[in-house]
Amino acid sequence: MQPVRIALAQLAPRLGVLADNLAAHHAAVAAAREGGAGLIVFPELSLTGYQLQDLAAEVAMAADDARLLDLARESAGMSAVVSFVEEAADHRLFISAALLEDGAVKFVHRKLFLPTYGLFDERRFFAAGDRLRTVDSNLGVRLGIAVCEDFWHLAVPETLALDGAQVLINVSSSPGRDLAAIHEVGLGTAASWRNLMRTYAQLTTSFVVFCNRVGMDETVSFWGGSEVIGPSGEAIFTAPLFDEGLHFVDIELGDVRRERIGLPLLRDERPELHLRELRRILAERTDLGIDDASDGPDEGERP
Amino acid sequence: MRADAGSAPSEPLFELPPELAIDTGVAQRVTVGFIRNQLRQAGFSHALLGLSGGIDSALVAFLAAEAVGPENLLCVLMPYRTSSPESVEHALLVVNRLGCAHDTVDISAMVDGYFGRDGQIGAGGLGAMDANPLRRGNFMARARMCSLYDRSVTWGGLVVGTSNKTESLIGYSTLFGDSACAFNPIGDLYKSQVRQVAAAVGVPEEIIRKAPSADLWPGQTDEQEAGFSYPELDRLLFWMIDKRRTDEELAAMGFATTAVDRVKRLVAVSEFKRQVPPVAKLGPRTTGVDYLYPRRRPGSSR
Repeated sequence: MQPVRIALAQLAPRLGVLADNLAAHHAAVAAAREGGAGLIVFPELSLTGYQLQDLAAEVAMAADDARLLDLARESAGMSAVVSFVEEAADHRLFISAALLEDGAVKFVHRKLFLPTYGLFDERRFFAAGDRLRTVDSNLGVRLGIAVCEDFWHLAVPETLALDGAQVLINVSSSPGRDLAAIHEVGLGTAASWRNLMRTYAQLTTSFVVFCNRVGMDETVSFWGGSEVIGPSGEAIFTAPLFDEGLHFVDIELGDVRRERIGLPLLRDERPELHLRELRRILAERTDLGIDDASDGPDEGERP
Repeated sequence: MRADAGSAPSEPLFELPPELAIDTGVAQRVTVGFIRNQLRQAGFSHALLGLSGGIDSALVAFLAAEAVGPENLLCVLMPYRTSSPESVEHALLVVNRLGCAHDTVDISAMVDGYFGRDGQIGAGGLGAMDANPLRRGNFMARARMCSLYDRSVTWGGLVVGTSNKTESLIGYSTLFGDSACAFNPIGDLYKSQVRQVAAAVGVPEEIIRKAPSADLWPGQTDEQEAGFSYPELDRLLFWMIDKRRTDEELAAMGFATTAVDRVKRLVAVSEFKRQVPPVAKLGPRTTGVDYLYPRRRPGSSR
């Protein structure tokens, strides 16, 4: 397994100013190439900014938009993860993250969990994705790509790892809040995220790459602190809070094998047990029989 | 918990309830970034604020000077003839420390011109002659707002707000008066948190130590008027609002039921002061309801 150099583009997108953000992406991609990166990761809604509200429809683009393809061509030879407002053919708007490789949009993940509580109002403006898939990359490993809140649901990193991902990428626009001296680095949000990332890396014995934006949209400050966590749960790199920057991190993909041989947690996972109990729980919740509550005739016992 | 100034082992600067302790470096970083960002997005490089001599506006002056540079900050002192001389002294202490521009607008003529003085009837008519301190205090706060917004034109800057979270929650402010601003960097910091950041950024100690006062009439102090000390009030608001504790839970924590009831009422009756005035829904798209744009977006700067 080759060592891989990751470039974390901890940028501060300008709200709704696509042209400026595209220019910043092109510049970061060029700098990443110069720095010898094999993978560059941009934060959630890196092309548009986060607090869009009704602007979302005005900055939306299709997954085959010429501007995305330009960026794909610019990053050819590397793998790049960028995030944007995706408008589907039926005009639903998604918060999407795309993997660009070989001058093309290779894969798109649509954010699954849209926080609509507290300071968040995403469900009002966006549709939730409904597919969770991994993707083979030119890096020689399979990637799992998720967006921000997706990682506040245990099943997401677990499913990605079971589906073969060895590098889990989370792109975020996490607003800093819960200022208190008791928290590590003074912010409750940062402390929570750090716990999650280390836990997921350890439990899935995978690399976790977290790219969180900086800067402000309206009243909220995004705290940055992008990280790369190794498959043993230890931080390999932690970016500074609040500062814009392009950070290079070298990882050894062979660490995944070493960790999984020594600590075979994934081998010992019991997805069939999990699935059976999930079916039972769903049946109990809906007061329907197990067969009626399950997704479809996949047990092979129906006519 | 007690907060000390530097290494001085003497009298603590202020009383700090432990649950309100914050990382002042993060608070400073975010609030300074916020000021810079708000101005930049609006297409402004200059800022101004009303400097009272108290801790809140002193802190905002320090933060604004850091954000835009002292040469781009104007502090406006707006005393009334009965204002405490100490207020002006303390305001000048801040101005001298920061090396920013300042300007004094004596609002006495504006206020007396309305309420009348020495038996002369003012613009407010006979009924304004014997106006109570509440009316006078509110008018003074609004006279200051008028002056500040007028100076914002000549200075070419935006008005930075100086109200803290404690006074905003209990409604201890004048609508369209001291609460009027283009944006407010400290509106989510309780008084106990303002004090910590003020100490960290170097607001002069005498300003941090003195009893907070609106200085709307001689000898007035916030704590005597509200009937609470700031540490008590901040703790109660923190557990009630930030940490969503129920009345029963607050009682179990040792908060007096009468205090809880009173503060809840203060918060509820001042809800209107914290919100944009409502507009009757008639059209298909109404601002603030189903026309929802960020304040700052492409094309919105001047």
